[in-house]
Amino acid sequence: MLSFIRKRSLSSLISLIGLVVLVFFLSRLTGDPAALFLPVEASAEMKQQFRELHGLNDPLLVQFGRYVGNVVTGDLGESLRKARPALGVVLEAFTWTLWLAAITMSLVTVCAIVVGSLAAFRSGGFFDRFSSMISLIGASVPDFWLAIVAIVVFSIQLAWLPTSGTGSVLHWILPIGVLFVRPFGIIVQVVRGSMIGALSSAYVKTARAKGVKAGPIIFVHALRNAMLPVVTVLGDQAASLLNGAVIVETIFGFPGVGKLMIDSILQRDFNVVLAAILVTAIAIFLMNVLIDLAYALLDPRIRH
Amino acid sequence: MKKTMLIGAMMAASLAAGMSPAMAGSGPVKIVLAEEADLLEPCMATRSNIGRIIMENVSETLTELDVRGKKGVMPRLAEKWEQTADGSWRFHLRQGVKFSNGTTFDAKDVKHSFERIFSDKNICESRRYFGGMKIDTKVVDDNTIDFKVDPAQPILPLLMSLVTIVPEETPMEFIREPVGTGPFKLTNWTPGQQIVLDARSDYWGEKPQVTKATYLFRADPAVRAAMVQTGEADLSPSISQLDATNTKTDFSYLDSETVYLRIDHNIAPLNDVRVRKALNLAIDRQAFVGSLVPDGAVLATALVPPTTLGWNPDVKVFPFDPDGAKKLLEQAKADGVPVETPITIIARTANFPNVTEIMEAIQAQLQDVGFKVDLKFVEVAEHEGYYSKPFKEGRGPILVAASHDNSKGDPSFTMFFKYDSKGTQSGFSDPKVDDLIQRATAAVGDERAKLWSQLIAYLHDDVVADVLLFHMVGFSRVSERLDFKPTIATNSMLQLSEIGIK
Repeated sequence: MLSFIRKRSLSSLISLIGLVVLVFFLSRLTGDPAALFLPVEASAEMKQQFRELHGLNDPLLVQFGRYVGNVVTGDLGESLRKARPALGVVLEAFTWTLWLAAITMSLVTVCAIVVGSLAAFRSGGFFDRFSSMISLIGASVPDFWLAIVAIVVFSIQLAWLPTSGTGSVLHWILPIGVLFVRPFGIIVQVVRGSMIGALSSAYVKTARAKGVKAGPIIFVHALRNAMLPVVTVLGDQAASLLNGAVIVETIFGFPGVGKLMIDSILQRDFNVVLAAILVTAIAIFLMNVLIDLAYALLDPRIRH
Repeated sequence: MKKTMLIGAMMAASLAAGMSPAMAGSGPVKIVLAEEADLLEPCMATRSNIGRIIMENVSETLTELDVRGKKGVMPRLAEKWEQTADGSWRFHLRQGVKFSNGTTFDAKDVKHSFERIFSDKNICESRRYFGGMKIDTKVVDDNTIDFKVDPAQPILPLLMSLVTIVPEETPMEFIREPVGTGPFKLTNWTPGQQIVLDARSDYWGEKPQVTKATYLFRADPAVRAAMVQTGEADLSPSISQLDATNTKTDFSYLDSETVYLRIDHNIAPLNDVRVRKALNLAIDRQAFVGSLVPDGAVLATALVPPTTLGWNPDVKVFPFDPDGAKKLLEQAKADGVPVETPITIIARTANFPNVTEIMEAIQAQLQDVGFKVDLKFVEVAEHEGYYSKPFKEGRGPILVAASHDNSKGDPSFTMFFKYDSKGTQSGFSDPKVDDLIQRATAAVGDERAKLWSQLIAYLHDDVVADVLLFHMVGFSRVSERLDFKPTIATNSMLQLSEIGIK
């Protein structure tokens, strides 16, 4: 197992380095930060001084060498816009995103597995049709629309929840609720499909013949065998949340990393863009390792 | 010649006109803004997302411009000022003023604030207003300071309304905890979430009714409107026109943005004045108001809004006259002007509300009179490449759709950049325009207003410099518990002492 993790770490490190090199040079292609930091009326001299102050005048390779040197010592540079260390800015935002993703995905996992399994158990029945319809709507509804409708209904009409922001537990309900819908819709479908396969297998028929009750059949015998594709899709969905739920963060004023990344790209705040990409890439790598471990746990064939 | 410009202790922090102090309440307010302040650096307060929070609330200036009345430049930290014989300016500073860190405000702080703006350890945005000037500050005594500016600056008192004063101890590098003399001090800043200002008990001026201001940030206009509706916030200076449906809380106001098409006079057929006139006559400006442009928008005859010094009421908007436009084009064509060359309108995505629809309509109207017009939408940086010099070689005839903001009250901020031969965004070169800009910038009082008026008329009627379109309006939502009307300055500055609480 340890050697597996070592191998994975090494290959991830190589992709990480490739990513940083790519983003470093691509972001520089978007243009000059001085043109956006300073107003259009600013003199050429002021723009020149801005570039000098931030080392943007040096040849690209010199800038890159300096950046790599600093990254090795753990210094990811300073945000041009915020005049404070880029890593601090990113970690602050990433903590919010991590919580948002963790809570949402936990809820999604539990709810989707229960609903998907029950739907598969009586495949073609009322509950199956009903849950299929709900999950299809969930998987296809646009989140910006859902977010605004949720605010209108729960904050303005019913006045149960705050419209947006942070501060109390109540503030988390709408963003999590909106984020929940799409992965839930997708994963219910995956669980259902995978479970129908498992439930029609020989060992389930044997269990039924032995007189095992429905509960243990679904959740003990079939589910474990049906979980592998579900874990893959769960990982995929969680990764897209870790990249930042840009629209939900923007509408609900949630200070997460997705909005930060978009803003930094638009403002050409290169150090923040790079730091955000590094942090999320590392997080996604860690999550992939966890998923691999989950595979091994679920399927002894992989373990051995 | 010693000329006293303004004397008398006018209370700078005057409350909104007509409010009776006996009736007024006090309390905290919550303000929801579209864009977060990424820095709270006093010398960056001329940038609107920063200035809206700290300008005149935390950090004060020597003078301030009256945007509600017509008092012009008013005293703030300076009580009076005068120009001395050699063209330099002497400012007499207010006494008994303390910074929020307890130190006393004096002339050395003013000197330091200027040195900081010109320091090479930072890039202070307010420096751009002093481009090409050599400024020598001399502390005469604790409450008097002289500014010797080369070349002489008749509008130095106005420029002083853009320079925030920081205490002498402030480092040259950007700071994150602004200390100022204003009625409020920064007490909490949680990036991404909120900024809190608390009223100071030791403020030199009149005590504002707002005791505490919490700034929240939401990018979505519908959410900002909803927050005021549900009471989560008391004021949103900008909401979308679609949400502005409640007459009790929603107000439109001229927001100092002027939309226009900048004509590149260097390239045929746009180098011909008849063609430029035809462009202007072909557009039915009035038809846009109340449809694609909100009601309340004003048709523009100058690039500066009507509240600006020297705005010329005698200049009339070009009528909608498609036949006239066609005739002018025919005349030009007969003289060999290549009027059939395709002209490209360069517009910026999401530059202002409905930009796509407005530009498409303008394209259609221009085509109706016989122009060949292409429309191209680009992102900010590419737009900047078309808008500012050096212009690209081999670019063909282009019109750049742009939005210009001048809430400063004086056209000099606009005229040089947009119309002078050396101006970064000037589409032409005209010696008479250059001369008028130079003379108007140097003039004072009525003479200054007269020269700006003359320039505005000349640009509009004779040069036909550009296709001026609309002075735009913004919409705000103000809770019924507040007594506050947004002004043309609200975009760049939001003085908490102007907010009354019912």
